[in-house]
Amino acid sequence: MSVADRRPPRVLVIWCPDWPVVAAGEGVAAGAGVAVGTGGGPGAAVGTGGGPGVAVGTGGGPGANRTMPLAVLAAGRVVACSESAREDGVRRGQRVREAQYHCPDLVAVPRDEGQEARVFEQVLAVVEEFCPRVEVPRPGLCALGVRGPARYFGGEDALAGKLAAALAEHGFACRIGIADGLFAGELAARAGHSGIVVPPGGTPRFLAAQPVTALESAEMADLLTRLGLRTLGEFAALPAASAANRFGAAGAVAHRLARGLEPRPLATRVPPAALSVALEFDPPVPQAEPVIFAAKGLAEQMHAGLRDRGLACVRVEVAVTGSDGRERARLWRHDGLLSALAVAERVRWQLDGWHVGRPGGATRATGDATGATGDATGATGDATGEAGDATGEAGDAAGEAGDITGGVGGITMLRLVPDQLVRDHGRQLGLWGEDQAEDRVARAAIRVQAMLGHEAVTHPVISGGRSPAEQVTLVPFGDARPPRFPPDRPWPGSIPVPAPATVYPDPLPARVTDASGAPATVTGRACVSAAPARLTAGTGPPLPIIAWAGPWPVTEWWWEPEKARRRARFQMITDDENAWLVTLEDGRWFVEASYD
Amino acid sequence: MHPGISQVVVASAAQTCDSVLPVLSVLRDLFPQGGLQRGSVVAVPGGGLLSLAIVAGASAAGAWCAVVGQPELGVRAAVGVGVDPGRMLLVGAPGERWPQVTAALLDGCELVLICPPAQPAPHVKRHVEGTLQRAGGVLVVAGDWAGAQARLWVATQQWAGMSQGHGRLRGRRVHVLATGRGAAARPAQRWLWLPGPDGGVTPADPGIGGLAAPTQDDTGPAVAVIAG
Repeated sequence: MSVADRRPPRVLVIWCPDWPVVAAGEGVAAGAGVAVGTGGGPGAAVGTGGGPGVAVGTGGGPGANRTMPLAVLAAGRVVACSESAREDGVRRGQRVREAQYHCPDLVAVPRDEGQEARVFEQVLAVVEEFCPRVEVPRPGLCALGVRGPARYFGGEDALAGKLAAALAEHGFACRIGIADGLFAGELAARAGHSGIVVPPGGTPRFLAAQPVTALESAEMADLLTRLGLRTLGEFAALPAASAANRFGAAGAVAHRLARGLEPRPLATRVPPAALSVALEFDPPVPQAEPVIFAAKGLAEQMHAGLRDRGLACVRVEVAVTGSDGRERARLWRHDGLLSALAVAERVRWQLDGWHVGRPGGATRATGDATGATGDATGATGDATGEAGDATGEAGDAAGEAGDITGGVGGITMLRLVPDQLVRDHGRQLGLWGEDQAEDRVARAAIRVQAMLGHEAVTHPVISGGRSPAEQVTLVPFGDARPPRFPPDRPWPGSIPVPAPATVYPDPLPARVTDASGAPATVTGRACVSAAPARLTAGTGPPLPIIAWAGPWPVTEWWWEPEKARRRARFQMITDDENAWLVTLEDGRWFVEASYD
Repeated sequence: MHPGISQVVVASAAQTCDSVLPVLSVLRDLFPQGGLQRGSVVAVPGGGLLSLAIVAGASAAGAWCAVVGQPELGVRAAVGVGVDPGRMLLVGAPGERWPQVTAALLDGCELVLICPPAQPAPHVKRHVEGTLQRAGGVLVVAGDWAGAQARLWVATQQWAGMSQGHGRLRGRRVHVLATGRGAAARPAQRWLWLPGPDGGVTPADPGIGGLAAPTQDDTGPAVAVIAG
């Protein structure tokens, strides 16, 4: 057997089913917490909201999200749904309409991968108690090498049992599988009631019985099925060279997987020390911002080193050393695909996750502070805002030091280590040859995000809709999110160009009266009761109206009683030569926008 | 032509390429350098669409534009005057930290549009101006800024296209005035459609101008709308 065909190491895979839903549930719960908690600071209010979110994970209990059918959407299709939605017939890949047909009271939320990663950090914190080196292929799935921990904990079955118990105690429903290699490990975790342990050497037999759809590549699975190959065993029985000839590079990878080998032969060279990069902070930095800032530069340096040798790394290890000398590391899937910015973002997630996950096992177990996930830096930004600059910095220092490094001081070193080097097949040009100007902008945006929180820096995306506020979706910088409504549809009844220059996020209450001073109204047949004569916008003085047009009635969502809206819009010019977009809804007037 | 004069012309043209960000061609007369001087502050006391029109030329030419402290900015209107939304960053509520946020953004973006909450303290202004000069961007202030290199405002405006009960807003004729310090001290003025009927910026006649009266079949959105 050649070096390239060596059996992959034993791997334990922890899979949290429906992770996007669990993470979204945490987000929903956090939102509720903010709405309810008014007395305490933001942290306290959010903490109270964590409770119901955690109930999701326990599976057994009647948590809020078990009864509420929830689906997570990406590009208009369901990517994950909760148990109750599944019972109603909602499936992955369905369109929203179809899912709502099966389950009319479905709550659909857009996917937020950042949130998924941040919440997953809590699972990783538990797993790390067992093994410090944990690989995260994607949020919701993590893997660890089983050899060492299995010896320590008395065998593979015992390790799996203890891990499952620890995770269940913290309120996470997970399945655990052990097999040779990550691919088989994930399938083992999905098999059976709560995952299975494939005995050593039994992996090829286990894989042979799996359907070809397990390959994750729908195209490849479809092709193989049409060729009459229904299981991985049948596919693996083909000669490797024939598979590569017939199906190309993707086929070669799939064939290796089906035989129970690693997808790509590892470059079995020890990575030269020069490829890992590190930066020491002296004195230790208590805030996350400078570390994230430095991570970007370090990642660039690491990529440059790899590129010079024509290599790519499968994973990157982000190791952070605290001033107590303890190093905490996390492996992130890289595959040569991450930009320097994306690596910096992983560092931010990691630090954010610790900010949430570290304050002691007991409090975390009860789901305290789960909702605070995203806004580690946001909260400190607020604190500074109130306290003024100098004191704010000090407050930052104290607050962050306690949280990020678990009360042991600041961060002294950040290290990025490329893990598992493979030959790069000429992918790097398009991916790493980024525009310099965009890099500079991204750096500035990350700095501001570190000051004010992830959601504070946004990027406008033009979307469809009728009101001026609907026509723009604000996407946090660094996230990729589709517009709320597709812009390329006709949208009859949308307000005509030119568009207003000032759009109030919350429409201002207004008062419109006719010449006699009585409030103007609009009848059910869209006729105005009398010519509007005076407009009072917000707290301003009443202004005589010199010209107006309307009413333009808009009836939206009339088929959904809860969302249905009927409005009548007017454009008005007041005698100070300002033009306004004014709306009448349920007998109340609002100024939606001003054209000034 | 005297040789000296042609040299001056060439020198100033070269400077235009390096140290000046472009503006929309209709606004060029309002700036003595023919564009936005890098490292300078442009104050627009009225804010609004005029401040967006000032950054539109450079944004369309590839510059990044950040908008700080204006959560109610109409992005659609900004796109209408020519700002590229793909190169736009919005920081809606920087709170008390606006000077730090502005300084950080000036390091990355060529144009930063701010709306300072109140009359800023002198040391805060010096800090922001220092960053501005080092980074070589342009700061457009929707409000007043003592010591701004250029100052533009709308002297008179008149909306067109609508009367009592019919028509719709078609455009706004504005008279824009500009003054400044140093080379920009000579006042300049321009009549513009801001916005024009398509949302863009076009020159207007100084006299009493009007757009064509709205036709009967184009009086706004369809009357009954049933959609979502």
